[in-house]
Amino acid sequence: MKVTLTVNGSHRELDVPPLMRLIDALRGPLGLTGTKEGCAEGECGACTVLLDGDPVCSCLVPVGQCAGRSVTTVEGLGSIDHLAPLQRMFVDHGGAQCGICTPGMLVAAEALLRRTPKPTEAEIREGLAGNLCRCTGYQRIVESVKAAAELRGDRGEGAA
Amino acid sequence: MSLTDLESYELLHAPSLAALVALVADRHASGLHTVLLAGGTDWLVEQESRPPLPSGVEHPVVLDVSRMPELRALEVVSGEGGDRLRVGAAVTYLELRRSAVVGERAPLLARMAADVGALQIQARGTIGGNLATASPAADGVAALAALDADVLVESVRGRRTIPFSALQTGYKTSTRAPDEVLVAVEIALPSRGAPFVWRKVAARRAQAISKVALAGVAEVEDGRVTRFGVGMASVAPVTARLPTVRALALSRPIAEIDAASVDRAVEADVSPIDDVRSTRDYRLHCAKALVRAWLRQLGARG
Ligand SMILES: Cc1cc2nc3c(=O)[nH]c(=O)nc-3n(C[C@H](O)[C@H](O)[C@H](O)COP(=O)(O)OP(=O)(O)OC[C@H]3O[C@@H](n4cnc5c(N)ncnc54)[C@H](O)[C@@H]3O)c2cc1C
Ligand code: FES
Ligand code: FES
Repeated sequence: MKVTLTVNGSHRELDVPPLMRLIDALRGPLGLTGTKEGCAEGECGACTVLLDGDPVCSCLVPVGQCAGRSVTTVEGLGSIDHLAPLQRMFVDHGGAQCGICTPGMLVAAEALLRRTPKPTEAEIREGLAGNLCRCTGYQRIVESVKAAAELRGDRGEGAA
Repeated sequence: MSLTDLESYELLHAPSLAALVALVADRHASGLHTVLLAGGTDWLVEQESRPPLPSGVEHPVVLDVSRMPELRALEVVSGEGGDRLRVGAAVTYLELRRSAVVGERAPLLARMAADVGALQIQARGTIGGNLATASPAADGVAALAALDADVLVESVRGRRTIPFSALQTGYKTSTRAPDEVLVAVEIALPSRGAPFVWRKVAARRAQAISKVALAGVAEVEDGRVTRFGVGMASVAPVTARLPTVRALALSRPIAEIDAASVDRAVEADVSPIDDVRSTRDYRLHCAKALVRAWLRQLGARG
């Protein structure tokens, strides 16, 4: 089945089985391996991407349901050479250790900050409640998101 | 994992609800299986854990209903009996949370939706999927029970309404025929500002299936309850409607209802079990405590 969709702002056309999981389409034919797979059943959030701006588990989305829609992955936030402020804050504040949960955390945090540019700690924790981390204990992740919100606020990058 | 055979399935989009029900009926008549795919948060997880299909078995056809306009209504319909809220089967939890009209007129639904899974699940999971999976632990179904929702289904034989009280017949069984598609649910809107309750007891706030959950909505006039609906998850083979508790709440001035009679009513209405998530005793304890607290909120004694 031909599926056309927008991935990180670029128009892409795929010829894939429609029930291929979005995560497999991203990591395979689309060559975007930033998105990680943890549990494969919607529990851990490692595979989180934005679908039309909302966070979803790409392990539970058939690519055929993404036709005509827009997908944002961690690669869409920034690159190694040009880290987005949110990514930079995860580095500076120890929000990433092994890094498996990090792409999903970043994408979930991005979704949060777009809608809620100045989140309370409770809002940050709710926004990241679907993302598990086995390394950091979460505190540093929450601090990274707080710092990113402040930075974005200063630069007027709040709502997208 | 059986994800490899999934890649040989077809995914179809029906051009209209009429075409969808016709296709479902045709295939059903020939003994073929059709999957209606909404958010996939139940169905895809089931696919992960099932054994691969034996060779030679025809694959089911999967029909994407997630964007079918007829299943996407979220609106107030005014009628003789007052205002009713229609929620299409393919409306997601996140849409319920974000809807101004739901927040204002049926806040129970918004509150419940905020406790389903986490945002990633709320952005995909639908009311129709929750109803069709028909788990006794389903949070959305508990809220619909409390609101005494009417369930609208359609097939080639036409559209009909199943009152919630006539829907569930046993563990994951219902009076909806296999070829009937869930279209929407409709609820008689409670008066503005009517008291409601949503309490979910689970291992943690997010991504946890209810050990017990209580949904409730009421209207109180001059110290008497005039409308009272409750739905409870995970205390019976079906979503519990707590008929004895309902009758008690409506039977006398609310201030005359005491804790002991509430406990007896709850005991008559639930039959919890021990399972991986909790025990019969703990569930019974929670069920009583939640109903007592809800009735106290409305003015009951103790
Ligand atoms: C990590 C995780 C956490 C979860 N947490 C919760 C929770 O806290 N509370 C809770 O209640 N549930 C929870 N769930 C379960 C699930 O998200 C809900 O039951 C959800 O409402 C299912 O909706 P869906 O659209 O994703 O269904 P799908 O998976 O698309 O479909 C489920 C079933 O419904 C059928 N169906 C779908 N639409 C229709 C229709 N219009 N007519 C007829 N049949 C239809 C499908 O054919 C399928 O059999 C969770 C799931 C996951 C993976
Ligand atoms: S891999 Fe998708 S939620 Fe865990
Ligand atoms: S940094 Fe290792 S899982 Fe989060």
